[in-house]
Amino acid sequence: MQYKTRKNLRNGIRFIILLFLAFVTLFPLVVVLSSSFKNESELFDFPFSFIAKNPVMYNFTQLKENFPLYTWNSVKLTVIIVALQLFTSSTGAYVMSKMHWKGRDTVFMMYLMSMMIPGQAIIIPQFIIIRNLHMYDTHWALICVGAFSAFGTFLIRQFMMSIPDTYSEAARIDGASEWKIYGSIIMPMSRSVMITQMIFSFRYFWNDFFNPLIYLTSQKLKTLPLGMSDFVREQYVYWGPQMAAALISIIPVIIIFIFGQKYFIQGVSASGIK
Amino acid sequence: MRISQRFHMKKSVSQGKWWIIMSFLLPSFIGFAVFIFLPMLTTLGMAFTNYSGGTKWKFIGLTNFRMAFFKSQFPSYLYLTFKFMFVTVFFQIVLGLGFALVLAKPSKGCGFFRSAFYIPNILSSVAVGLAFNFIFEPSAGLMNQLLASVGLPTSKFLTSDKSALGVIMAVTIWQNFGYYMVLFIGGLQNINPSLYEASNMDGANKWQQFWSVTIPGLSPVLFFAITMAVIRGFQVFDFVYVMTGGQAGGGPGGSTTVLAFDIYRNAFQYYRMGYAASESLILMVIILAITAIQQIGQKKWVVYDAV
Repeated sequence: MQYKTRKNLRNGIRFIILLFLAFVTLFPLVVVLSSSFKNESELFDFPFSFIAKNPVMYNFTQLKENFPLYTWNSVKLTVIIVALQLFTSSTGAYVMSKMHWKGRDTVFMMYLMSMMIPGQAIIIPQFIIIRNLHMYDTHWALICVGAFSAFGTFLIRQFMMSIPDTYSEAARIDGASEWKIYGSIIMPMSRSVMITQMIFSFRYFWNDFFNPLIYLTSQKLKTLPLGMSDFVREQYVYWGPQMAAALISIIPVIIIFIFGQKYFIQGVSASGIK
Repeated sequence: MRISQRFHMKKSVSQGKWWIIMSFLLPSFIGFAVFIFLPMLTTLGMAFTNYSGGTKWKFIGLTNFRMAFFKSQFPSYLYLTFKFMFVTVFFQIVLGLGFALVLAKPSKGCGFFRSAFYIPNILSSVAVGLAFNFIFEPSAGLMNQLLASVGLPTSKFLTSDKSALGVIMAVTIWQNFGYYMVLFIGGLQNINPSLYEASNMDGANKWQQFWSVTIPGLSPVLFFAITMAVIRGFQVFDFVYVMTGGQAGGGPGGSTTVLAFDIYRNAFQYYRMGYAASESLILMVIILAITAIQQIGQKKWVVYDAV
C-alpha cells in the first residue's frame, strides 16, 4: 500500500515536470498566436498576457496587400510538387522493386548516394542549368528541381519490396500490362506509405525557404516563407504583422499534424530504418 | 538470344521490353540526372575555375582553395560551423534520448507529450526565426523582461557577437530534439523486453542496465541519428539568414557566418561562383569524411544483432 502511494506520487511529480517542459517547449507558439492579435503598443507588455486585452485584426489586414498571393503561390506550388513527387517516386520505386533489369541496383545505389550530398554542393550548377533553360524567376524552376525525391523513391521502394512478388507475377500471367499492375494492384496496396511520403514532402515544400530564395525574385511569385523573410530586411520593424504571417504559415502544418500524426511518426521512424 | 530465354524463364511477358522499363524509370531519372547528378559533376569541375556567372571563365588550378585557406575568413567560418555542429549534435541527441527514455513506455498523457515535443520540428524555419527574433528582441523583448524580473542580467542576444551564435544554436536544438526523441522511442520499443528481465535477474541496477542493455540495443538508431544530426549541423542556413540580418547578414562581426551562408553569399550575392563551388566541395569532402569515419568507428560500438 505504502509502495503504491509512493509510486503514484512519483508519477504525479513526473507528470507535472513533463507538463511544465511541454509548456516551455510550446511557449513560442503561444507567443506567436497571442501576439498576432495584439496591437503594437501591447506587444511588449510584461507580464506576458496570453489573451490580448483588445484583440485586433489589424496585424492581418496589414498583410492583405501581398500575403494572399504568397499564400496562394505556396499552396499551388506545394500541391503541384507533392503530386509530381509522388508520381516520380512511386514509378521509380515500382521499376526498382517489381521489375528486373540490368543496372537496376546501380541506379538505386546512385539515388541512395545522392541523399548524402549536401544541397550546397549542387546548388550553383543547378542554378545555372535553370537559368539556361530560361526558368529563372518562374515557378517552373521550383517544380523542376523539386520533382525528384531520392528519399521518396527509397521509402516507397522499401515498402513495395515487402509486397510479395506473387501478386504482380500472377497479373503478368493473366496478361496485365506493367502500368496496369502498377496502377491497380501495387499502388492501392501502397496507400499508407504514399500518405507518409505525401505528408513528408508537403511539410518540406510548404516550409522550404532556400530554393525559393535562390530562384524567385519577382514579388508576385514569392512563396510564404520567402515573403516572410522580407521582414528581416525592412528598416522599421513591425512585430505584429510578422507574428500574424508566421501564424498563417504554421496553421496548415499543425492541422495536418493533428489529423495525420500517425503518418508523421511513420515518416520519422522510416527515415531511421536502413 | 540467351537474354530473351531468361526472360521467358521468369515468366515475364511484357516486363523485358526496355521502353516499358524506361517509362517507369525516366520520370524520376530525368530529375535526378539533370538537377542532381549533372550539377554534382559540374561542381567538381567548377571548383577549379574562376567562373562568375558569365560566358568567360578559365581553369585556375588550386587558386580557389589556396584563397580559401590562406587569404580569407574561410578558416574562421569553418571553425564556427564545427562549433555549431558539435554543440547542436550533442544537445539534440542527449535531450532526444532523455525524453525518449521517459516517454517510451505508455503512461498518462505520453501521447500528448510526445506530440508537444515533436511539434517544433514540423514548423517553417522562417516562421520560427521570426518568432524568436521577437522573443529575443534586444531591448524590451520577452526574454529580457523575464530575465530582468528574476534579477538576472539581460543580453543583447542576436545583436551581439558574443551571443548571436548561441541563440541560433539554442533555437536549432529547440526545433530538432523532438525529431530525435521520436526516432529513439521507435528504437527503444524495438528492444526485446526479455533482455531487461534477464539483466534484472542478474541483479543489475538501472544504471548498469542502461549501459549494457539500452545503449547496445539502441545503437543502430543512435548511430543513424548522430550521422543525420552531423550532416544537418553542417548545413545550417535558414536561421542564420532570418535571425541575423538577411542576405547581407552573417551576424554581428561575422559571428554567425557559417559555411553554408558564406557559400550562398559568394555564389548569389557576389557571383564568385567558382570560389563558392570550391567552398562547397570542401564542405562535401568534410561531410563525406566524417560519415566515413563514423561508418568505420561504428564497428566498435554499434550492435546490430541484439535481439
